[in-house]
Amino acid sequence: MKKPFFCAALCAMLLIGAAPAALSADGSASSKEILDHVDDLFRGESSYGTFSMRVVTEHYSREMKMEGWSRGKDYSLIRILAPKKEKGTATLKAGKDIWNYLPKIRRVIKVPSSMMGGSWMGSHFTNDDLVKESRMADDYDHEVTFRGDREGVRVIDLTLMPKPLAAVVWGKVVVTVMEKDFMPVGVDYFDEDMIMTRTMAYSDPKRLGGRTLPVRMRIAPTDKPGEYTEILYHEIEFDLDLSEDIFTLRNLQK
Amino acid sequence: MTLRIAWRNLWRNWKRTAITFAAVSFSTAVLVASYALMIGWTQVMEKSVTDLSVGEVQVHHPDYRSERSLYDTVENPEMVLEAAAARRIPASARSFGFGLLSSGSKSAGGQFWGVLPEAERAVSDLAANLLEGDYLGPSPQRRVVLGRKLARSLGAAVGTELVVVVQAADGSLGNDIYTVAGILKGVGESLDRSLALIHRQDYEELFVFPGKVHEIVLNTRGAMDPELAAAAILPAAGTNEVITWRRLLPTLAQMFDSMIASVLIFGAIFLLAAGVGVLNTMLMATFERIPEFGLVKAIGASPWRILREISTEAVILGFFGSVAGGAAGVLIALRFERHPLDLTMFVEELNFMGIAVTNEVPFALTPACVWGPVLAMWAASVLAALWPAVRAARMKPVEALTHV
Repeated sequence: MKKPFFCAALCAMLLIGAAPAALSADGSASSKEILDHVDDLFRGESSYGTFSMRVVTEHYSREMKMEGWSRGKDYSLIRILAPKKEKGTATLKAGKDIWNYLPKIRRVIKVPSSMMGGSWMGSHFTNDDLVKESRMADDYDHEVTFRGDREGVRVIDLTLMPKPLAAVVWGKVVVTVMEKDFMPVGVDYFDEDMIMTRTMAYSDPKRLGGRTLPVRMRIAPTDKPGEYTEILYHEIEFDLDLSEDIFTLRNLQK
Repeated sequence: MTLRIAWRNLWRNWKRTAITFAAVSFSTAVLVASYALMIGWTQVMEKSVTDLSVGEVQVHHPDYRSERSLYDTVENPEMVLEAAAARRIPASARSFGFGLLSSGSKSAGGQFWGVLPEAERAVSDLAANLLEGDYLGPSPQRRVVLGRKLARSLGAAVGTELVVVVQAADGSLGNDIYTVAGILKGVGESLDRSLALIHRQDYEELFVFPGKVHEIVLNTRGAMDPELAAAAILPAAGTNEVITWRRLLPTLAQMFDSMIASVLIFGAIFLLAAGVGVLNTMLMATFERIPEFGLVKAIGASPWRILREISTEAVILGFFGSVAGGAAGVLIALRFERHPLDLTMFVEELNFMGIAVTNEVPFALTPACVWGPVLAMWAASVLAALWPAVRAARMKPVEALTHV
């Protein structure tokens, strides 16, 4: 697991799983329950959503509108709606594989393993982020390390240390949630040398798809100040009846 | 008088003279030819490095070589190119970028080089190293010349259509279909594996990166000292880094320097070996004549006269021997200067620290290759004669007469 929430976050549609577990908000929830809640927040049996992605780097900034579908944990499809130049460009995830459809040349290209570490659509997410996902509570030992006021808000910090045999790249992950409803606030990722390398920030909680979700999330690499990728959900629906045919190479090219 | 006697003496036993002459001239010829070969070899190695793709001088953004970032481009490339043109230094601007090439189900990463084909041809020999197909044409046609191993891993041949996908400079997914124009011969490991040479304008469209250049390569092909060429464009280079191939590839440059040193050492050893050969022949020839010298001395010749005659003989013999040998060596060297020595029969493909070296080694005849061995062999033959001459001159006639 590289960036657990990206999958969760970038696309509810990319992901899996059961509806979020109902949590007792009386403060008695264990750290596992909180992590599962965060993991499941964006997940559903299936989903459809539209969102925009804004990428700001030292060298370029770009904004795209996209729509996406997901079914189970293995299938998802994202298609660019705007800008015009890239309209129709689409990504299909099936299991561990990713295909891109390029409308200009009308070809489907499977992303080779050597390029899985490369940027997805010029963002701060890699192709690997799309396919590698897992549940935080399974891969990390976790405990509550802070509970109290921060900038006037009652929050809880959970510190996650990778389990000895877990196939994860982070040396440490710190997840911050609101104390009252366990709404995610931010996640800080540390490398093996315990140096913070990237941060994820969640904001703008809204009622979407029958759930209350932070609809804006921003990922920022720590070593490149000023750079970030921000995703803003416009609409999202969970547990739709989606046909398997959506997630085929054939449909990718439509 | 001495000269005439010496000359006559030489002809008295013409077989002995011929053998000595042959030894001196053969050694000299071998020395001249092998010096020309060694110098030619080092020159070929250096040229292989600079002419194949590296050039003699390169200009980059100061961070480019360490970061290899798409965005570290040469500042004001036009000014550098103009400065080079003003000094008639051939120059080519290159734009680089990484991307994915695929053909059917096969795909591989490649390093794209966006170049103006004619300018690139002037500074590098890539165009002359085509295994099959053609070089890029003068106009952008979405054609690509591939490194050999890259073509192999894509299963691509001339005419194959390749899907090309790159991370463009504006963050978008640059993509297009390119046709394979040509495939290069082995030109060095990294280029073989990754080079995808395309037209500059095609590059600019593919990478959405108009007017950006990562490297300017200058190559006078030996007409100008790289340091001078670098100095010539330095005022126009601004903040860019200007670097000669010697500083760019210091290990390689040091290798060449040490090769030149070893050429000198080998040269000295060859000289010594040939000198000893000549020494031996002269020595034997002179010792053989000790009884004769005894006789001359018995009828009243002074030691000094004997010494003078013998050394005059050696001077004459050595002179003709080494000059004739030098001439023969020059002929051999010129033959291979015109028609380079082809090493294909020994090695299929020469690769020197990842850079392909031509199999054809032309000899390089420098004046030092000729006069060095000629003078040295001449001196060796005279010296070789002196010692027995001194001995003969100092001997008592009776002993000399009975000397065997």
